Amino acid sequence: MGGLAQVLVLGLISGSIYALFALGVVLIHRGTGVLTFGGGEVGTAAIFLAAFLVDGGVIRLPVLPDIDLPGMPWAVGALGAITLAVGIGLLFERLVVRPMVGRDPVSVSVATVGLGLFLLSLEFRLFGESPQQLAGPVDAGFTVAGVIVSPTQVVGLVLALALGFGLQAALRRTDFGLGILAAAQDPDAVRLVGVPLARISMTIWAAGAALAGVAALLVAPTVGAFGPGYASELYVIGLAAAVVGGLNSLPGAVVGGVALGIATSAGTRWLSGLDLPGLQYLIVLAVLLLVLLGRQTLPDLLRRLEPPTPQPAPTPTEARA
Amino acid sequence: MSTATPAVHRLPVPGFVVALVLAAALPPTLGAALLSDKYALLGSKACVFAIAALSLNLLMGYAGQISLGQFAFVGVGAFTTGVMTGVDQVRAPWLVGLVAAAAVGALLAFLVGLPALRLRGLYLAVVTVGVAYACWQSLFRVEWIGGGSAGKVTPRPYVGETAIGSDQAFLAIACVLLVVVWKLDVNLTRSRIGRAFQALRADEQVAASFGVDVARYKLLAFTLSGAFAGIAGSIYGTAYGTVTSADFAWSWSLALVVIVVIGGLGSRGGVVAAAVALVLLPELFIAVFGEGIRGIDLILSAALLMFTIARHPDGFAGAIHHAREERARKRGGEPPLPPTRPNLPALTRPPGMPQAPRAGRGVPVLHATGVSVRFGGLQAVDDAEIRVDRGTIVGLMGPNGAGKTTLFNAVTGALRPDSGRVVLLGRDVSDLPAHDRAALGMSRTFQLIGLAKKQSVHENLLIAQHLAAPYGVVSALSGVGPSRWYERDLRTRADEVLEGLGFQHFRDTQVGRLSHGQQRIVEIGCALVTSPELVLLDEPSAGMSPAAAEDLAATLRDVRDRLHRTVLLIEHNVPLVLDVADELYVMAAGRVIADGEPVEVATRPEVVTAYLGTAPSREEVLVP
Amino acid sequence: MTTPHDEPLLVLEDVTAGFGPVTVLHGVSFEVPRGTIAGVFGLNGAGKSVTMKTIAGTVEARSGRVLLNGQDVTRLSPEKRVAMGMGHVPQGRQVFPGLTVEENLRLGAYTLRRRDRGRWPGALESVYDRFPVLRERRTQLAGTMSGGQQASLSVARALVNEPSIVLVDEPSAGLSPVAQLELNEVLQTVADSGVTMVLVEQNVAFGLSLADTAHLLQTGRVVHSAPVEELDEATLATHLGIGSVLRAATGSALAARQSDVPAQRGGSRARRRAS
Repeated sequence: MGGLAQVLVLGLISGSIYALFALGVVLIHRGTGVLTFGGGEVGTAAIFLAAFLVDGGVIRLPVLPDIDLPGMPWAVGALGAITLAVGIGLLFERLVVRPMVGRDPVSVSVATVGLGLFLLSLEFRLFGESPQQLAGPVDAGFTVAGVIVSPTQVVGLVLALALGFGLQAALRRTDFGLGILAAAQDPDAVRLVGVPLARISMTIWAAGAALAGVAALLVAPTVGAFGPGYASELYVIGLAAAVVGGLNSLPGAVVGGVALGIATSAGTRWLSGLDLPGLQYLIVLAVLLLVLLGRQTLPDLLRRLEPPTPQPAPTPTEARA
Repeated sequence: MSTATPAVHRLPVPGFVVALVLAAALPPTLGAALLSDKYALLGSKACVFAIAALSLNLLMGYAGQISLGQFAFVGVGAFTTGVMTGVDQVRAPWLVGLVAAAAVGALLAFLVGLPALRLRGLYLAVVTVGVAYACWQSLFRVEWIGGGSAGKVTPRPYVGETAIGSDQAFLAIACVLLVVVWKLDVNLTRSRIGRAFQALRADEQVAASFGVDVARYKLLAFTLSGAFAGIAGSIYGTAYGTVTSADFAWSWSLALVVIVVIGGLGSRGGVVAAAVALVLLPELFIAVFGEGIRGIDLILSAALLMFTIARHPDGFAGAIHHAREERARKRGGEPPLPPTRPNLPALTRPPGMPQAPRAGRGVPVLHATGVSVRFGGLQAVDDAEIRVDRGTIVGLMGPNGAGKTTLFNAVTGALRPDSGRVVLLGRDVSDLPAHDRAALGMSRTFQLIGLAKKQSVHENLLIAQHLAAPYGVVSALSGVGPSRWYERDLRTRADEVLEGLGFQHFRDTQVGRLSHGQQRIVEIGCALVTSPELVLLDEPSAGMSPAAAEDLAATLRDVRDRLHRTVLLIEHNVPLVLDVADELYVMAAGRVIADGEPVEVATRPEVVTAYLGTAPSREEVLVP
Repeated sequence: MTTPHDEPLLVLEDVTAGFGPVTVLHGVSFEVPRGTIAGVFGLNGAGKSVTMKTIAGTVEARSGRVLLNGQDVTRLSPEKRVAMGMGHVPQGRQVFPGLTVEENLRLGAYTLRRRDRGRWPGALESVYDRFPVLRERRTQLAGTMSGGQQASLSVARALVNEPSIVLVDEPSAGLSPVAQLELNEVLQTVADSGVTMVLVEQNVAFGLSLADTAHLLQTGRVVHSAPVEELDEATLATHLGIGSVLRAATGSALAARQSDVPAQRGGSRARRRAS
């Protein structure tokens, strides 16, 4: 029995990180129809910056004198990381998404592949393969069912739940937020009531990128060492979680993330006898296929969780050939 | 603009043989003195990436299926060869390892393709990412597959008792395989299979209307692509001797996408050039500028990918192609415009096609009864009946949303009606899929032009003859056997129609670059090229000038009176319908509300009301 | 206001437009004077919908000009045009189904609320006064309302922003007869309150019951413009290119309209134009 509790706790911890990544995926997909494949590296780039700011270091510039940066508190590093993520999101929106207005979202999705590879190779170039460390803000922790839970993990879970179940309501409070919700339903009609679609697009991309940055920051202390491409390895599970959750539903993203978190933690515990490396990816692939080919039963169930939002493009029309 | 096809120029020795000899002879001849081991190995790697890029190009560029995990299949090929030839495992000859790599790659890709039958676009892309991760992080790390942390050791092939140890000699093998895969790819694109892929990429419904079995060809695209990738992997593993799972990390799949998009989706030369450049150029630059610039190549090419997608969706090959076309146009001046009233050739049914059953007198060409289609809460078609007799033009009119196109789709099999029967030439086809109905002698056009817009006029006329050349995969890939004589017949027919349409000067022009009216005429030509008994036209005059619409009327009469074909026509142009139709059906709100002699039907009050609407008045609405 | 009142509110000057390789509009010109309703009629493919999109700015004109209130808006985004006083009742009554009635209206007043928050409560009240059913259902999700109610909401969403001109795109399409009637009455009252409108309709009879001026489109050109009172069925039939088939229907619609105009509506319209 203790095993089950442990599996659930571990599943919730990893699931909340998948959920945060999935929320970014869903946010962007709902608003623009684009699936972001490069989001993981936005997260990795963000924590590289955070680690650099926290550890301090020397920036060598050509011509100009070197800048010796002192180590800074975690909060500053985190702020820098999120700023960087938002900046990447905004730049990508401005330079790549904007010129492609009216084009097939699939093309933009392929462009996000370029973004991921761009950041990945930049990380290799700047930091090499040697692993980096980013400790958490505090060392404290408490034990639940034999698992040591750290504050960042709690923050991750709370944030995922709050955003998944509260973001939509929060957006309804402002006119611009309403515009974002409406744009997801019908972008053309939104322009015709005078809401600037370009600003909505910028906001969505910035927010999606910020979510990837936050998720990477929160998971870094749990995982310990990281290197180039590291957040992508979790992000792809977030991507799967978003699909499992129906791709258009924020609560669905959270439930999908937690479901995959529990499935992988259960699998790695009870199927360890199989002696398969990277077992979690096999489990994720299996769940993904089951849900996609099982006529999307999970999203259909989840739709009842969300306030009854008639969605203009529900997933089945897109998914079914 | 030159209309001569490059294919006509025949060297005394085929270019393929020349390339093969060069590929086999050049690297060993250069020897270690002129081609260092390092660059010979790099050359093999370039071949690997070129073949892998061709495999992804086949899938994404030809068939339009997105794969973001293609390098997993390369890995499958590498480790399969390792398992088959490794000293402590099967110890089979290298050639067996190569064939096994292609086979296992094909099998895995086939399995990944199965969900593709149900999933579209981005969902499929996520599945391929999942497969890439499952392979890289899990399967390839299994001891007996990937050789654990030490990696998989793959011995070089043997000739007799001696191993081909030198990198220069192995480069020759890699180059030969690249030439062979290139040739297979060439044959494929020139065959009905390559054309079916192109139709798939353009539009699945359009492909089905030309008789392409969508599910079968999707799976075929995955399978062939997996086989190519497997070959690439086999070379990779053998060239380097040892490979680990990290060599097949997901990022390499992304790099492959970069290569294919920058090179130009669907452009063989473009993607091979991009692949070779991405492997060789960085090393050359590093040799010149030093180690300091290592790693910049991928940064730049990823940036280039984003730039290419955002600004030049057709890639470099596309940009070069456009520039060349532009220059040719400037040099040759504008070609003469084709006539708007084409002179269609009277064609017989191609021998390769099932001959239409000679239905007896009085048996209608098409008889659909009790057809009902529901979309959610909307009754799109409600118990509709339509009957089309041989050698007539039947018009189908009605206001927007009346259900005309939905009825068309139910008749052609593009959608399954909730109830109703469709009898084509005396045979109940209600349970047949669209491509089988097309085979029986029915073709159609679409409201939004059902052509492969990126292909030339000539290629479209070939795509439309998919059913007229029933040869198999082996013949298509090898370019020998039945494909040879079928293709000759197909091309003759395409040229005849081309000439009849007056489009000789636009033979190699991309359809998407023609005017809307010209596209419409090409589409009608495609619908008639297999000489089907029944042609269904969906708003052919939409977007045409009144003069062009008059010419269209003449063309339609020509189809009926000289070619003896039967036409079912959705049209909004009332004068046109009244002019050409022998019988007129009118639909409103999903129901057939009138049928009969056109002018009489068109003046019936209920038709006039349905078609033109009324100003609502309280009395009419509220008083029953 | 610096613009003289006799200047037309909306002007199209020799506009050409289309999609991709297809040119749909080949030089469309017409003017919409203040306080009048311009009806744009034509068969499928005549270019009605592209005309509307070019005015709205969702399709950019290839040549020619679009003037709103004397200002050249040809190159402005749709959002800017809305901020300048253009309102839309889009085709298919695109209300936001996942938002409540009041949220739809709040979004409709997006530019008004940004310009002057204080005017919002008044604007909302006046719309609720005009459409009492919307006040009753203010917290209901728009997607769950009937077709006629959604149509009302769509009109209300345009009016709540206090636009100077409203573009109504194919209002009758896809509506049941009862809903058509409801919508027709709604548009009548809006028309009588002096709002300038451009109305595109395939249902000629429905459109003629509302419009002051008819612009007949054929293959991307305005082939005839005239006050509705001066139209006769033969002209309509000829210029719409549908020949004798149409005459029966338009004849009765016109007869109804022409007996209607002088008695009931001519007076209010005349007052509006004078003001």
